[in-house]
Amino acid sequence: MSYVPIGPIHPGIKEPLRIKLKTEGERVVAAEVDLGYFYRGAEQIAKGKPWQKVAYLSERVCGICSHFHPVTFIEGIEKIAECEPPLRAQYLRIIVGELNRIQSHLIANAIYFLAIEHETLGIYLLNIREKIMDLTEMITGNRVHYAWNVVGGVRMDIKENQTKKILENLDIVEPAVYRYRKMFKTGAFLGLRSKDIGKMTREEAIDVRAVGPIARGSGVKFDWRQKHPTFTDYFDFKPVWRKEGDNYARIMVRFDEILESIKIIRRAINELPKGPIRKECEIPEGSIDNRYEAPRGEVTYIFTTAKNGIIKDITIRTPTIMNLEACAKHMFNDSPTIADAVAIYQSIDPCIACTERVTIVDEHGNQKDFNGINSLLRAYPRQRNKRE
Amino acid sequence: MIKDFIRKRSIHVCLICTGGCNGCDIEVAALLSKRYDLEQYGIYYHNNPRECDALLVTGHVAKQWQEKLIELYNKVPEPKAVLAIGACALTGGIFQQESDKTGAPVSNFIPVDAEVPGCPPRPAEIATAILKYVPGVLASYSK
Repeated sequence: MSYVPIGPIHPGIKEPLRIKLKTEGERVVAAEVDLGYFYRGAEQIAKGKPWQKVAYLSERVCGICSHFHPVTFIEGIEKIAECEPPLRAQYLRIIVGELNRIQSHLIANAIYFLAIEHETLGIYLLNIREKIMDLTEMITGNRVHYAWNVVGGVRMDIKENQTKKILENLDIVEPAVYRYRKMFKTGAFLGLRSKDIGKMTREEAIDVRAVGPIARGSGVKFDWRQKHPTFTDYFDFKPVWRKEGDNYARIMVRFDEILESIKIIRRAINELPKGPIRKECEIPEGSIDNRYEAPRGEVTYIFTTAKNGIIKDITIRTPTIMNLEACAKHMFNDSPTIADAVAIYQSIDPCIACTERVTIVDEHGNQKDFNGINSLLRAYPRQRNKRE
Repeated sequence: MIKDFIRKRSIHVCLICTGGCNGCDIEVAALLSKRYDLEQYGIYYHNNPRECDALLVTGHVAKQWQEKLIELYNKVPEPKAVLAIGACALTGGIFQQESDKTGAPVSNFIPVDAEVPGCPPRPAEIATAILKYVPGVLASYSK
């Protein structure tokens, strides 16, 4: 029995995080995840600020899914104000959102392929990602942080030559994704590295509350887009899911979702309604729990507003905190070698920047293991009693 | 002499992400794609501080990093260059407001040679900064 530390700086890991693997020979028996290299107190900053500043800040919670954080926050405020944005704005949000989802899934798969040393496929995926980044830059004016969503609509309209350019680029991206999906599906060595590795059953996924493509790869048929009003009213959306629950299933779910997103964008552009893109809203006092499906899973914004849209209190829950626990608890046990442990870790598409919400400091002992909510309840039994 | 000539043209780079929002790191990862293609310029993206020539530091310096960043800097062999990338690494950016949780700027902890502003900077700007600054450091060392 020995311990192998990975990170915080490691060639296979892009973001700082320490994984402590307990190994027997080459086989991984258990794993511990050590967070805390990213904490920046985003929720503390948001308190007492007007919504304009918090929308700007919520983009900076994560640099990859930087459309979904502000949209979840802003839709929450719109629900408090009972002020639905114009239909054109809703469609535009869906177009940019799905473009953002495509680029996020492409970089997630690319980094997985780089982690299993299949550089060809990784670089191919990064290449077609640039086509999508061009589109988001053209529509919103920026590559990463758009600052494009506002309460009551969106900031900039889309023109006819721009929709033409979107369709042109999607015509290049779609056959390429089909080709790389086929390469992954039929490649013998890719299959050896991916199939039956990092398995998680449906029951385990529900037990640790896994979300997003990770849960859908294990057979949980759920996607928050099913419950989003624009999707239910104007698009017939069905979630993509698979039964296997291994690395292969998670990567395939992402490929299939990219193709699904391309279909949604095409339909949204063909049926794009005419009209205004922004309207005035007055924000009263209120509180809300709003959720939306980011590329990695469910994003939750729970907040309270005071008069004139000042945020009193805010809690952000991001998908990776659950997926990381699923990875540490159920997937690493199934890893035949240490090299596969890195591949499993990348297959859950971790975003540590999103995840850092809590830092744990134990005053009395050296117990620094963090095991989800259970260790918090163990550390603070009194507060738990008070709540009951 | 020949070593200087070669070293200017093969720069090993290590990315250290000390916080922020991950946007700068994704832009560095985008540099690997064929449109920018770092390796054609002789820059090799290698996340190992012990064999790199230039450190790319991004992010506000989170509490856990404040000692480790200095340790990491000492592990890099001479000659070395440090590039601070993004608004967070230069000033703390938007996270500077919660000032007890950030140690930004990076120059509080290690000497910074070049700064790339932007939130996040474009990939081409990052590549230009590496190509403009780092060869000079490597060339002047042996003289």
